[in-house]
Amino acid sequence: MAARNRAKLPYLLVAPAVALLTLFVVAPGVYALVLSFQARKVVGGLLGGGSKLVFVGFDNYGLALADPELWSSIARMLLVALLFIPATVGFALLFALLLDVPRVRLARSTRLAIFLPYAVPGVIASLMWGFMYLPATSPIGGDHVDFFGSTTVFFSVANVAVWGSVGFNMIVIFTALRSLPAELYEAARIDGCSELRMALRIKVPLVLPAIAMCTLFTALASLQLFNEPNTLRPLSNAVSSTWVPLMKIYEDAFVDSDVNKAAATSVLFVFAALAVSFVASRTVSRVNR
Amino acid sequence: MRSQWRLAGALLAGALLVTGCGGGGGDTSAAGGKVNLTFWDWDPNMDKVVDIWNQAHPDIHVTLSNPAGGDQLVSKMITAHQAGNGPDIAKVEYQSLPALVSNQVVADITQYTADTVKDFDDTTLKATRFDGKVFGVPQDVAPLMLFYRTDIFDQYGLKPPTTWDEFKQAAADLHAKAPQVAMTNFDAADPGWITGLMQQGGADWWSSTDNKTWQVAINSAASKKVADYWQGLVTAGTVAKNPSFSPQWNKQMNEGQLATWISGAWAPAQLGGIAPNTKGKWAVAPLPAWTASDKTTGIWGGSATTVTTDSKHAAEAAQFASWLNTDDKAVTAQIQNINVYPAATSGRSLPILSSPPAFFPNQADYYDLVKQVAPSSRSFSMWGPDVTVTFSGYTDKFGAALQNNTSFATALDDIQNATVADMKKLGFTVG
Amino acid sequence: MSPRLRLLPTAALVLGAIYCIVPTLWILIAATKSKTDLFSTATYLPSFGAGIWQNIVDLSTYQGGIFWQWMLNSFGYALIGGVVASLVSAACGYAIALYEFRGRKVVFNVILACVLLPQIVLAIPQYLLLSKVGLTDSLIGVLLPQLFNPYGIYLCKIYAQSAVPDSLLEAGRIDGAGEGRLFFSVGLRLMGPGLVTVFLLQFIAIWNNFLLPYVMLTSDDKFPLTVGLYSLLRHGAAEASLYSLVITGTLLSVLPVIALFLSLQRFWRIDLVTGALK
Repeated sequence: MAARNRAKLPYLLVAPAVALLTLFVVAPGVYALVLSFQARKVVGGLLGGGSKLVFVGFDNYGLALADPELWSSIARMLLVALLFIPATVGFALLFALLLDVPRVRLARSTRLAIFLPYAVPGVIASLMWGFMYLPATSPIGGDHVDFFGSTTVFFSVANVAVWGSVGFNMIVIFTALRSLPAELYEAARIDGCSELRMALRIKVPLVLPAIAMCTLFTALASLQLFNEPNTLRPLSNAVSSTWVPLMKIYEDAFVDSDVNKAAATSVLFVFAALAVSFVASRTVSRVNR
Repeated sequence: MRSQWRLAGALLAGALLVTGCGGGGGDTSAAGGKVNLTFWDWDPNMDKVVDIWNQAHPDIHVTLSNPAGGDQLVSKMITAHQAGNGPDIAKVEYQSLPALVSNQVVADITQYTADTVKDFDDTTLKATRFDGKVFGVPQDVAPLMLFYRTDIFDQYGLKPPTTWDEFKQAAADLHAKAPQVAMTNFDAADPGWITGLMQQGGADWWSSTDNKTWQVAINSAASKKVADYWQGLVTAGTVAKNPSFSPQWNKQMNEGQLATWISGAWAPAQLGGIAPNTKGKWAVAPLPAWTASDKTTGIWGGSATTVTTDSKHAAEAAQFASWLNTDDKAVTAQIQNINVYPAATSGRSLPILSSPPAFFPNQADYYDLVKQVAPSSRSFSMWGPDVTVTFSGYTDKFGAALQNNTSFATALDDIQNATVADMKKLGFTVG
Repeated sequence: MSPRLRLLPTAALVLGAIYCIVPTLWILIAATKSKTDLFSTATYLPSFGAGIWQNIVDLSTYQGGIFWQWMLNSFGYALIGGVVASLVSAACGYAIALYEFRGRKVVFNVILACVLLPQIVLAIPQYLLLSKVGLTDSLIGVLLPQLFNPYGIYLCKIYAQSAVPDSLLEAGRIDGAGEGRLFFSVGLRLMGPGLVTVFLLQFIAIWNNFLLPYVMLTSDDKFPLTVGLYSLLRHGAAEASLYSLVITGTLLSVLPVIALFLSLQRFWRIDLVTGALK
């Protein structure tokens, strides 16, 4: 009897997750695929007189790929990622190393302060920083520096994302540092090695897996850039309605009411994102070995 | 290995099964009992007007909700309609009404409004009546007018301009005497604003001669005339670049750095919230004209109250829509709380309009002036069926043009091309 | 090393901490200004008048106190979603870690692939699908998609492998305990600390989520804080004087989570996250 129960239980335990996976990952993906091969056409009259769904093959994909707005949005996202990923991982590593220095003071308070932005939603963070960027209300010199200029806007957007992400990544790397055995350093310290040399030569190489994982997750996050530019948009002329790919998809689906083209763009985006993630995670596991 | 594929296949089959099944939502209400209607509206203080209805009509209860405003509400309505859970009644700007009709979101209420339409003149009804069918009860009209700061004008010796040439001259004079004060702001974030100016300039962005083919003329000569004029002012630095209602613009209004605001007749209610300390310092004048003594003006906004195709109580919903915009009590409450200028002819002679809005105590003839201007306000022959595409094109392209100092006329060309391409993609005939 | 240099790490950390605190500090200052003062007084000086109280009152009376409804909604979604998602993840991770069953590899690989999938891009297809079955604009429609947390399942699997020794389960079986009982009384209990981390991660993820509820919901009384405050900001583009409300709302939304964080500090087991690397 115990053997029979044993045979059933794993399936029961796995069932909820699999059901959710099917309903909310696989099914939407399939539905998006189905939609992407269709389009809505009006049936006649000046105001349409009704519309019908027709099969159009790969037309939507062609339209999506030929749309210059899509490519501009990808370029802008990459620009922000170029700023966001190194800054986040770099500062996270820096702060984690600093926290690990033996004689550092105020470690607990500063660690907590830097971790707190993780609990602040991207939308809220963008609101806070947005008002800080605006000349009308800026305490950081917004009336002298144009935070919403054509080039500075990338730094401004990246800054909000960095602000929200450094803390979590710092804690991940810090925890990895803390799990390194202390004997490693004893020998180095006896030899007269400075903290800096120790950090660069010993610590960093040993926490490379953690750093790699942080890089992977920040890269994934930058693909999903949406909240920050979307929230900053009402506050400036510099952010358009299709500033990043996800905004473009949203715009297609809900403003232009073209769910089919949006579905096609979503499918393309998912494949591209999976490809990037796959390559990145392969690199991470190679680093781990 | 085979079992793995079988499992994957099962997952896929499950997914297809789910996507295949349809079934709508939608609630049912008790037959013959109390009727519950949902009303989407973004007017501030509309709840006070709805309360009046609910007290007088215990059997038809209207619940007000405010999910979004303007263009955003249009998008929400279309997606809600596709999901089958739209509201019963909704406030829709005239500019978005054809788009909602073509998406079959808004219902034909001709049969319920035979009497109601008698309270509106033909020009007003043109905005909600297509092909002889009525798709909404007009709520207000919003002729574009010039609101100016009397104290700033006095300080710098300016007179309210009556032509656009005079406006340009006044702007240059002001800039010379006080560079930190701008004549007005160019709003690249609200398409309703620019279309009002375009309408005054004689542009007709959408029209149809045979009721089958669209003519789209967004980049016509008349449009470019208006665009070039404003480009000149922007380049000369005499107008500010911030959109109305933006935080930066709010600051400028509060600190007296904007001398005028080109806005609709609903402005007084908004000004009270924007810059309360400037009460009594504003006055309204007709919009400057292209040729002297031409009274034409455009419109900025103005909406109708519509009934959706999702509504299960169209008759009651239409009843509310008609009441809201023609009943004396309702219209008075609207004027008082929301500061709209009513579309209904009877509404324009209500006693409450004999005194000026609360924020303009210094201009006793405020509403008389609006009444004079309203009949000469013109709109486009029609609004396009995919107006959201045009409007988001405007905010993006003109926003970029302001940001990068590039040509407004080219932006108009881009918007024209995008609009026509989208209409053709949807299957409309564009001539 | 000279004493001044020794303070360098501390100084750098303090700078980092200041950078992270400044926006919240500024929001606090901005929220003390009344509507009229917001755009007319120096931005880095707080007002000590009744500004902040008036702002809170205005925010609480806006549309019948809908801001507090939004706050309640955010807590509701995050709490319920977090708890259920953690249980689902625990069950799934436990099963994958400790049992051999048909399809185990496929399920685990698919779940791993989902970790690499940007979840947010599914929001719009999820909306389109749920709209076909009429589940949009409902609390369920917002909760259900967020109950699946592939990374949480992955963490639970790792944790179960290390925290629940097979020998213990075997001993239980010899004693005659059913598998289900083993899961609830042995497995879950041993996985406890890890579960708290998974719960907290999912809680924060749901609390921070914007796109899914933004797309799913049209009734503003179901909005979470993120969507509510964003809609307030957009309303401000057509209606004056909502900026003070947005700022006050932002401040009030940040405070409870900071408080929650501070009190739950010791429950964060980030070594679980880094341990998952091995």
